[in-house]
Amino acid sequence: MIGRIARLSLWLLVCAARLATAQTLPSEPIALADGRVIVSGDVSAGYGSADPGFFNYTDYEHSALRLFRVDLTAAVKAGPHFTLLGEIRSENLDAVRPYALYLRIRPWTTRDFDIQVGRVPPTFGAFARRTYANDNPLIGYPLAYQYITTIRPDAVPASADELLAKRSTGWILHYTYGDQTFSPGVPLVSAFRWDTGVQAHATVGILSVTAAVTAGTVANPLFSDDNHGRQLVGRVEARPVAGLILGSSFARGPFVSTAAARAAVGDGHDSEFTQTAWGADAEYSRNHYLLRVETIVSQWRLPIAPPPPNLMALQMPLNALSASAEGRYKLRPDFYVAARYDYLGFSELAGTTGSLPWDAPVTRIEIGGGYSIQRNLLLKASIQHDDRDGGRLLRDARLAAVQLVFWF
Amino acid sequence: MTRTQRARRSQRGAAVGTLIGVLAFVSVVSIVLIQRPQTVAAARPGSIRGRVEIRRPAAAIERRPGVADLGTPTARDTPDLLRSVVYLESAPRGAFETSDGGHAVMDQRNETFVPHVLAISTGTTVDFPNSDKFYHNVFSLSKTRPFDLGRYAAGNSRPVRFDRAGIVRVFCDIHSHMNAYILVFSHPFFAMTDSEGRYRIENVPPGTYGVIAWNEGTPSETRPITVPDGGIAELDFTLR
Repeated sequence: MIGRIARLSLWLLVCAARLATAQTLPSEPIALADGRVIVSGDVSAGYGSADPGFFNYTDYEHSALRLFRVDLTAAVKAGPHFTLLGEIRSENLDAVRPYALYLRIRPWTTRDFDIQVGRVPPTFGAFARRTYANDNPLIGYPLAYQYITTIRPDAVPASADELLAKRSTGWILHYTYGDQTFSPGVPLVSAFRWDTGVQAHATVGILSVTAAVTAGTVANPLFSDDNHGRQLVGRVEARPVAGLILGSSFARGPFVSTAAARAAVGDGHDSEFTQTAWGADAEYSRNHYLLRVETIVSQWRLPIAPPPPNLMALQMPLNALSASAEGRYKLRPDFYVAARYDYLGFSELAGTTGSLPWDAPVTRIEIGGGYSIQRNLLLKASIQHDDRDGGRLLRDARLAAVQLVFWF
Repeated sequence: MTRTQRARRSQRGAAVGTLIGVLAFVSVVSIVLIQRPQTVAAARPGSIRGRVEIRRPAAAIERRPGVADLGTPTARDTPDLLRSVVYLESAPRGAFETSDGGHAVMDQRNETFVPHVLAISTGTTVDFPNSDKFYHNVFSLSKTRPFDLGRYAAGNSRPVRFDRAGIVRVFCDIHSHMNAYILVFSHPFFAMTDSEGRYRIENVPPGTYGVIAWNEGTPSETRPITVPDGGIAELDFTLR
């Protein structure tokens, strides 16, 4: 698979360079039916170093540094009040999956108020809505949205020791209770799936307010609910002056599946095992630079099953904290440089051999740049240093990647 | 050789020299006249006027479907895509010596560049004011004049001077549907069409020229026209 992606990336690069020279690449969305149907696309092909420490994996098979992604998005306008929006996506030439599909309703055309129903865009945080490669100045993702922790919504450990033993193995693991198959854990906030539910958004002056009720949680967005609980999520955004965006988000919802909770502690407790997340973010841009900072705190409450003999029981809550700061500076019309610093830490958990963060803390620094071959054809390159404090896998890695991005 | 013979040879040499001189002068004049469009030095300038009809107007670039947006994006203006530029393919001699050096304005208003097409001569500085409440980031990757003005707020304006002839496509880095054209000419013989497609190129020295009409990246074929002494030549175009 990786060889195929590498060959495909190289082929795309050569084709893109030739087409760009001829200035024949389409650069505009496709409008059909007198502009009532608009179709656009994003294609990104990346190839990077092997990542044996699984720092950049988004699940067991996919690394963000070796990803070939094709997105097709469409908007169908049905009068002034209704728009149907959808997106299909394929990663590494796998099956095409629906990523978004929702109806946007604008009850009053003169007011900035919308209701969105279906598989809706993420309400929480800032980065989740700009995961497209041309929105991301680097190739890697912020840790909070990509790094897979050892928490699973469909399986729970029997003890604190079992959880501590899995530190750093979030890319594939299994636990005593719930689904016994090996599967990946979840990031603090998923950037790779959207949740399903109802979302309302209003803008008044400098303030924008969004609230949603969805089936999953920010870490585990779902198409259909698996624990009879709904997540409540909200975001407030202020734009006090041009170029400055200040955001704050909150989310809370049942996290553990009914099956896993039943296996661990019996029936009737679904709604107690929650994920609660708080987020704050800021963006400031001026002239040729852009700065973004974002911090997220996530708190999980998992079922505490009676531990096996001589092992410590889980203690709740399990907290995780992420902090990310990124900057981009345009040196020339066709060239920019960018850097991001990321930290992901975890609260202490007492096991029989002592207290440790319940997953291994990770720090990442990524530096790179982008060269615009054409307005909508961008070649990015970055180097990354990841450092993990503990765990069973490789503790640090120096990685490099290139990515070609095309959009219309 | 006798004195008489030497005198005759000398007279013949002088005549040949005179003949060569005359031939050289005639050649130079001929070359100049051939290279120049058929103009007469003291002639009065004329003008070219006509109409450009756009059969199928180009479609405005649509906003990309904002699937990740939390709500409906704000309404924007639609650019005027019917305006065309008509220009002489090659300019009369001496036209290149004038360089306007003036100012032109391309505003950013309701997520649209206004005007959508600007025709200027080399040496002109174009100001890009931002009349929206939010940021824009005007840039161009064109070989004629690459530039990036960065992000700036309402009420501010940034200038770009254009010193090379060519076509410059202008975009906004924040709003991908915003685009405009700047056509930079090294001579003054061009004109924008009005809202009804009419144009008039003034002060054209009498002669025969090739004329091109251009609309939204599509140029017409070169059409020949003769501008009479102090008169008006009519030329209509149909594009697409």
